[in-house]
Amino acid sequence: MTEAVADAPAEALASPPLSRREFLYYLWGGSMAVFLAGSGGVTLWFALPRFREGEFGGVFHLSVEEVPPPDSSPREFAAGRFWLINIGGRTMEDPRQPKDYPLQPGIRALFKVCTHLGCLYKWVPTNDRFECPCHGSKFLKAGARIDGPARRNLDTFMVEAVDAEGRVLARTEPSMDSQEGSPLDLPPGAVTLRVDTGRRILGAPNSKPGGGR
Amino acid sequence: MSLFQVHIPILDEIKAKGLKKALRDKADDVVTRVTAGLSIADVRSVLRDDPPGRPNPRLKPHAEGFWLHMKPTYYHRLVDGLYPTFRLGWLSTFFFAFEIITGVYLMIYYTPSPLVAYENMLDILSNVPFGRLMRDMHRLGAELMVIVVALHMLRTYVTGSYKKPRQFTWATGVILLGATLFLSFSGYLLPWDQLSLWAVTIGASMAEAAPPEVVGKTLNLLLRGGPEIGANGLLRFYLLHVVALPLAGIVALGVHYYKVVLHGHSLPPGVEKTGEDTARRVPMDRRVYFMPTILTRELWYVSALTALLVIVSAFWFHAPLEPHADPQVTPLHTTAPWYFLWLQGMLKLGDKVIWGVIVPTALGGLLLFVPYLEVGPSRRYGDRRVGLSVGALAVGGLAILSYMGSPWYAVTTSPDQEAVARLLPQTRPGPLRLAPWEELNYGSYEARAWQQAPTPTLSRLLRIFDEELARVEGPDRLDAEGVMVIEDWQAGLKKVTLRVLWTKPGDLAVVREGGEPVTGERDLAVQFFSDADCTSAVGPQVALAGVGIQKGLFSVSLDLSAEGIPQEQARWVSVAVGEAALGCAPVPAEEAGTALLQNGTRSEFSQTTYLHRSSNYGQGE
Repeated sequence: MTEAVADAPAEALASPPLSRREFLYYLWGGSMAVFLAGSGGVTLWFALPRFREGEFGGVFHLSVEEVPPPDSSPREFAAGRFWLINIGGRTMEDPRQPKDYPLQPGIRALFKVCTHLGCLYKWVPTNDRFECPCHGSKFLKAGARIDGPARRNLDTFMVEAVDAEGRVLARTEPSMDSQEGSPLDLPPGAVTLRVDTGRRILGAPNSKPGGGR
Repeated sequence: MSLFQVHIPILDEIKAKGLKKALRDKADDVVTRVTAGLSIADVRSVLRDDPPGRPNPRLKPHAEGFWLHMKPTYYHRLVDGLYPTFRLGWLSTFFFAFEIITGVYLMIYYTPSPLVAYENMLDILSNVPFGRLMRDMHRLGAELMVIVVALHMLRTYVTGSYKKPRQFTWATGVILLGATLFLSFSGYLLPWDQLSLWAVTIGASMAEAAPPEVVGKTLNLLLRGGPEIGANGLLRFYLLHVVALPLAGIVALGVHYYKVVLHGHSLPPGVEKTGEDTARRVPMDRRVYFMPTILTRELWYVSALTALLVIVSAFWFHAPLEPHADPQVTPLHTTAPWYFLWLQGMLKLGDKVIWGVIVPTALGGLLLFVPYLEVGPSRRYGDRRVGLSVGALAVGGLAILSYMGSPWYAVTTSPDQEAVARLLPQTRPGPLRLAPWEELNYGSYEARAWQQAPTPTLSRLLRIFDEELARVEGPDRLDAEGVMVIEDWQAGLKKVTLRVLWTKPGDLAVVREGGEPVTGERDLAVQFFSDADCTSAVGPQVALAGVGIQKGLFSVSLDLSAEGIPQEQARWVSVAVGEAALGCAPVPAEEAGTALLQNGTRSEFSQTTYLHRSSNYGQGE
């Protein structure tokens, strides 16, 4: 090669043909790139935490006496990270309720975490709504977002009403019109409520000012 | 015999030159090696500021030594003054070193575990000699470093120093800015207090919002170390804070520094011809040599700054520590660190994917590529009207967004809770916890009567309370009242309850006479109607004598059938107190033919705290 270059100095400016050594170096470089990419993948895999899916999501058993009366303030269940609410006549007539999310009476278990960025919202009785202290998302008692940067209604958990024999009398059913779980109308004979925090139902999309799809 | 002969060169030299000269030569030799090229005579001439000889021996340490090869041998006189650099780059480097040193000290007493991290903080604050000072200095240095790095970037932008050939230097600077911000932010989690937990929860949730969903979820898990921030998350942030980010910073700083020395410090914008860069061609008569001028000055800066930081941290600046992290309660008025307030403000604007991921990433990218966008060759201010206007707009925008990120924008809660939070905030000790313990006398105090409080401290606190109550007062909240109750709870422990009371008017207007709510027994006249205008009466008028009224409020339960009123038709009611009619309202809650008449309810919000005699809150803020 060197001789060829020496013989034709004019051609030295043009790129010389690929030599075997150069080719093997490229091959080696390519294989190093593949190796590094693989190592990167393995590092990610290594760093991904190992936990059981739905680890915090246990099933909580509550007596029906613990259910707040209709239209009363929500009740907090810190261990299960949810609020229990009971939708009654006055809650349904709330003029702030966005029309896109028609309400039915009954019991809902609202996941305590704001659907915006994971802070815990709290109940503000004076304003009769949930407020998030981080970025100011506001939700009505029944879970509909009415203000702030959150983009969906509050998430809920599956609730089942169980009688003394352990039969499930009623449960949160998916309601097709709003994508949310229906409130549980407490049937007579129910003694226990089962709240399954492993089965979270995402709130319906809600992004308009004042609430709405 | 020669086998046992030990050859000691210095002895030979002593033999040859005599003891004194041999030792002097040896010392000279040692100094030359240590300084990488300067003999004792050279060092003394540097200290005396004699003119250097030719060839200049003071250039040798730059060429041969490791530390000084990162420093230019000389500077242009025009960049030696305060303008145009303001020493901001140098200051950034200083703070980086300062943070590493104070940080390593703090690591001695810190364990990254939720079980003991907060306890470690208390230990550092109260038990470790100079522990508090060390923490305060580390925090102060961190805050100042963010300011200095940001100003350094702003200055580089304003003087156009990122233009060709320094584009890549600017890019490494953007990486350093990111490293600085995230170093500071990752340090927030380590004390494991409320601020830590929630600031980082929001940060990780932003990462989670990154599209597509699988990327966001993975990022979130990688950061938090699990579905929730716990032991794994704390350890990860600790490793980021003490290993990964400093390492990235050191590498980026090395490249940045190298490029600065390679291209030279850019001269002030007006002194060169447009498009020319003469930073590397410094005429002999305009040179300021590193040795001794810059070297001695920088040594002086280091000592003065360190002294200043020690004094400020010892006397004035104290790093705050919030209550222990509580995953069950997000405190009211939670905010991001001040340098991320603009981001918190953006997050209040709407969709988190747009405002929390896409826009910040785009802004970061824009910043990185600014030198390739603003390609005009001129660095003169007059030629860069667009560039400088954009810069000014960006600074203004950041200020506005930062205001929007503060607790005063869009997150204020009901005024009763705000009133209590003013005295008893959830994110810092606040006036009540910081009040001298002895001056909180037992008793029950009305906020309105702050002037009659027994101690100046109580008077001050009640006055603040009273000011806040004025904000509680409104059409929906009448007759607001504030009460502070201080009880002797245990030896050395006082229980303080703050109560805010107000009247929520019902459908029947509140009874007032001459502006004051009526109190005492009055006669009521009740009439039922079937229509909303209260024109078609139903049944006879009911007279109720001697109804007890408290602060304008009354509550009467009427048995409709006993009064001869047809229950189905009685939909509306009007009430009169003596001469004053209270208007027309729908008949409220009915139960088995009974009407409950109320003209309002007294509502209350209260919060309790316990103050310990020896709590060191007083020194905490």
